[in-house]
Amino acid sequence: MSDQSLSSGATPRRKSSNWLRSLRHGQAVIVAALVLAGLMALNAGLSPYPLSYFDISFLASGGATSAIAAAGQTLVILSGGFDLSAGAVVSLVNAVLATSMDPANMQASVPLWTAIGIGIGMAVGAVNGFFVAVVRLQPIVVTLAVMFIVQGLTLLVMAMPGGFVAPSLASVYLGDTIPGLLPAPITLMLVLVALWLWLKRTGYGITLYAVGSDAEAARATGLHARTVTFATYVLAGGLYGLAGVFVSAQTGSGDPLVGNSLLLPTFAAVVIGGTRLGGGKGGVLGTILGAYILMIVVNLLLSLNVSAYYSTIAESAVLLIAVLAGSLRRDSTLSQRLREVTDAIGARRRGWLVGQRSGEDHRLAFTRPAETAPAQTFLQRHGHTLRHVLPAWICLVVVLIATQLVLGNVFSGWRYWDSLLVLSSFLAILALGQGAVILTGGLDLSLPWSIALSGVMLTGLVGGQDMGLLTALPVVFAVAALIGLANGLGVVALGLSPIVVTLAMNGILQGAALIWSGGTPAGFAPPSLRWLMTGKLMGVTPVIIFMAAFVALAIVLLGRTAFGRRVYAVGNSELAARLSGVRTGRVIISVYILSALCAALVGVLLAGFSGQASLGMGDDYLLPSIAVVVVGGALITGGRGHYAGMLGGALLLTAMQTLLAGTALPFAFRSVFFGLVILMAVIALRK
Amino acid sequence: MIKRYIAGAACALGLVAGAAQAQSDGPYKVYLSMSYIGNDWQAEASNMVKALAASKDYADKVDLEVQVAGPNAQRQIQQINAMVQAGADAIVVYPISPTALNSVVKSACSRGVTVIAYDAEITEPCAYNVTIDQEEAGRKTAEWLVDKMGGKGDVVMVTGVPGTSVDTARTKAAKEVFAQHDGINIVGEAVGMWSQAVARTELNKLMATRDWSDINGLWMQVGCYTADSMQLEAGRDPSELLPCAGEGSNGGRIQMLPADTAVEGASKPYAPMGAPRISYASPPYSGALALKLAVDKLEGQDIPKHTTLPLPLVTNETVQLCETGSWDEQKAGCNVFQPSMVSNPGWFASIFSEDLPQLGLNAALVGQPEN
Repeated sequence: MSDQSLSSGATPRRKSSNWLRSLRHGQAVIVAALVLAGLMALNAGLSPYPLSYFDISFLASGGATSAIAAAGQTLVILSGGFDLSAGAVVSLVNAVLATSMDPANMQASVPLWTAIGIGIGMAVGAVNGFFVAVVRLQPIVVTLAVMFIVQGLTLLVMAMPGGFVAPSLASVYLGDTIPGLLPAPITLMLVLVALWLWLKRTGYGITLYAVGSDAEAARATGLHARTVTFATYVLAGGLYGLAGVFVSAQTGSGDPLVGNSLLLPTFAAVVIGGTRLGGGKGGVLGTILGAYILMIVVNLLLSLNVSAYYSTIAESAVLLIAVLAGSLRRDSTLSQRLREVTDAIGARRRGWLVGQRSGEDHRLAFTRPAETAPAQTFLQRHGHTLRHVLPAWICLVVVLIATQLVLGNVFSGWRYWDSLLVLSSFLAILALGQGAVILTGGLDLSLPWSIALSGVMLTGLVGGQDMGLLTALPVVFAVAALIGLANGLGVVALGLSPIVVTLAMNGILQGAALIWSGGTPAGFAPPSLRWLMTGKLMGVTPVIIFMAAFVALAIVLLGRTAFGRRVYAVGNSELAARLSGVRTGRVIISVYILSALCAALVGVLLAGFSGQASLGMGDDYLLPSIAVVVVGGALITGGRGHYAGMLGGALLLTAMQTLLAGTALPFAFRSVFFGLVILMAVIALRK
Repeated sequence: MIKRYIAGAACALGLVAGAAQAQSDGPYKVYLSMSYIGNDWQAEASNMVKALAASKDYADKVDLEVQVAGPNAQRQIQQINAMVQAGADAIVVYPISPTALNSVVKSACSRGVTVIAYDAEITEPCAYNVTIDQEEAGRKTAEWLVDKMGGKGDVVMVTGVPGTSVDTARTKAAKEVFAQHDGINIVGEAVGMWSQAVARTELNKLMATRDWSDINGLWMQVGCYTADSMQLEAGRDPSELLPCAGEGSNGGRIQMLPADTAVEGASKPYAPMGAPRISYASPPYSGALALKLAVDKLEGQDIPKHTTLPLPLVTNETVQLCETGSWDEQKAGCNVFQPSMVSNPGWFASIFSEDLPQLGLNAALVGQPEN
């Protein structure tokens, strides 16, 4: 932030270019609008028929649900938060409307049901807001837990698709405001934008931006930061509710799973629209444009007849290009990095680089460390770590005792422990990679398809033979290292948000896995790998011994090495770390490489566990990998956390799932319980 | 053809009517909208649709384009609309949601496009559906299991994707059968998501506090192959394998063959072992059949609104190994393929349809028609 204002202050044309500045301010929105217009024109040009009013109306309604939901997500992200419950709320509202509307009443009141939908969304938002703003828990965990709870509730309301939504809803939301000229969905978007432009100028809006830019400073200035954060989640919930009402109108019925796949696209829409993840910059207008860009890309791929295998790659490319174009300017990270590189080359030529000087120690006498350090008690040294690590382990013990009481056979034999340790090994490995990334303040969303691609490549390459491992493993891990390198370079060199880079990477890897496997992964895991995961060595599954070594190495790597200390330093303050001589870029790139390598290891082990690889094998591990790290006591914004806690988190989640799987509870209740336990674990973590 | 033209004109959109006329002499433009291509079933279904479109009988009639929506119903809605815009004559669709597509399908119908759903259903009345009777599948397999267990014992269930109609119908029907027998207890229920990999994880959790000998029977939507593999890993003898009502995977059916059957390319657990099993499946040829019906309809024939496919049930008594996997050989009654030809045990073996002589084993494996 500070160097930005410095460089703009250095330009002499500062006063005269007020309009230029506001243009720059809206650069992302303008780029998004231009991209959308370009794509629309391209789409119209490719279609054999001219674009009719009907087509425009349909396009407008097609993107509306995700646009409304993404608008809600925008508010939360502006406040510096993150809302994973968006899709689940859309499903819940759809399910409630479809089950409670009277099929005999074709003319159900639109305002009433809209209010009910928005009200449900706001109620969920209030729960989120309470835990984030009042209890002060980390948004990502709160909304993750609420997501599980809401998904469970939705299945309780409606076990399977069906139900009835009165056509009066559709005629209002999908009809025409001015027949032949203005379709209703466009009016709805215009109303949303108008409301947003008004809201932005109110006290609430100003505080929202202030909180998102710097929550501490906002509070210190006397702004009602907490009230605004709470209100933001409630408002966002209301918008998800409205999206649920819209989808109900659009489909005329209910489906308990309809909104779940909306979650990741809402982030993409927010980011394409120029809102900064982390808060403080952006707006709803850009997001709505972003949602429609994503939608028109789908139509475009169809018109161009792009093979389905390439569609996720194309979408990721659009995401990256839109974000890069929206942020391109003289002081953007990319141009800064390019300047740095040219400077460094020039300095090297003149022999000015620090590394080119002689290695003599020029330290002054008083900087020499003291001969004797004061002895610290164990608690003084580790108390801080313990306070964040212990809650996960305590919760684990509680779950174990509960399991013994409900199902038995926990403390009487090895079988339970063997199963628990084997099943938790995947999450424990992912926790190291995801944990290291989170410690630096990033997030790796490319795990699912890194896992799947690695597993699919491994089984494809080994040909079912043990000897094949010798060539296949190096290839798999080399590819993973390249994936991590690309992620890291995207974050460091292009200056993009980690979420954008890794989300796009996930799409690219998905395409790569599909192309590589042709849709069905071939081959098997070799016998030795299967033995590792399912065999027995003196009654113990061999992977448990491997995990013991892995855990020891992980604790040493993060806690006892220079690399580990640099990771924490970067997470606490990247600027401070850089000024202290840490090569922050290299550290950040390394954690993404570490994360990709961990994902590859999980892909390999999962292939051994199942005997073969499947394309969806990584899907169930993304959100748990984040949950494990946070439940284990790490701060999602980086700088705090210990691997021992994350390990406890992995065991806790797996033990919890084992307990729920063993009971005869319906899936809906299990989901609710799972969410409640995550919430409880993080409440226990609170200071 | 004429009928279609009238339908187009009747919908009062001069534009569409003109388009229909302009296209009437070329091959039919048919779109396939799939949900997801990451699993064996979908890949086979897509291969078989492509094989049918490439076969001699259909190559000149059909111009097929395939699109994938992923798990996102919103996207499928957009895709179907884009297909209508691009001038589709018919749309063959694997519906992600039975209800969410209704309004887009209705608007497609009103523009004269034939919409046929396969495997899962679309509830909009103007759409055509090709499915099996899911309720029957759940009931018959549960009855077989009760019979095998002699009417009493403990059952573990592994279900599909919660919240879908297919899973709900199958599971409900099976539970009704179990409820009629006092001796049958459901002691565990896991969510298997129709994936062998998930089934293994979930079974591991279930078995963490149990022994295989505590259970008397298994009812699964997908996962018998995995369950048998796990029992062998736990050191049980193949003769002690629990009766399992489950999916129609080739691996599962190979395991059903008597242990002394000679097969090519077998390696444990993908090998004959006389496992007690009833094997059922939604057949992956339903997409190809939907395409055939769509063409029949476009050529002016009447087709039923709802085609219920015969439920392919295979038991230890009826399982029979194929040598080449041609359509003729399958017509003669074989229903499981050599592991040397089908290397993936999770691959679905119910690919035979009386109505589709164009499609043999190669159609499902690589998309190559019989002629």
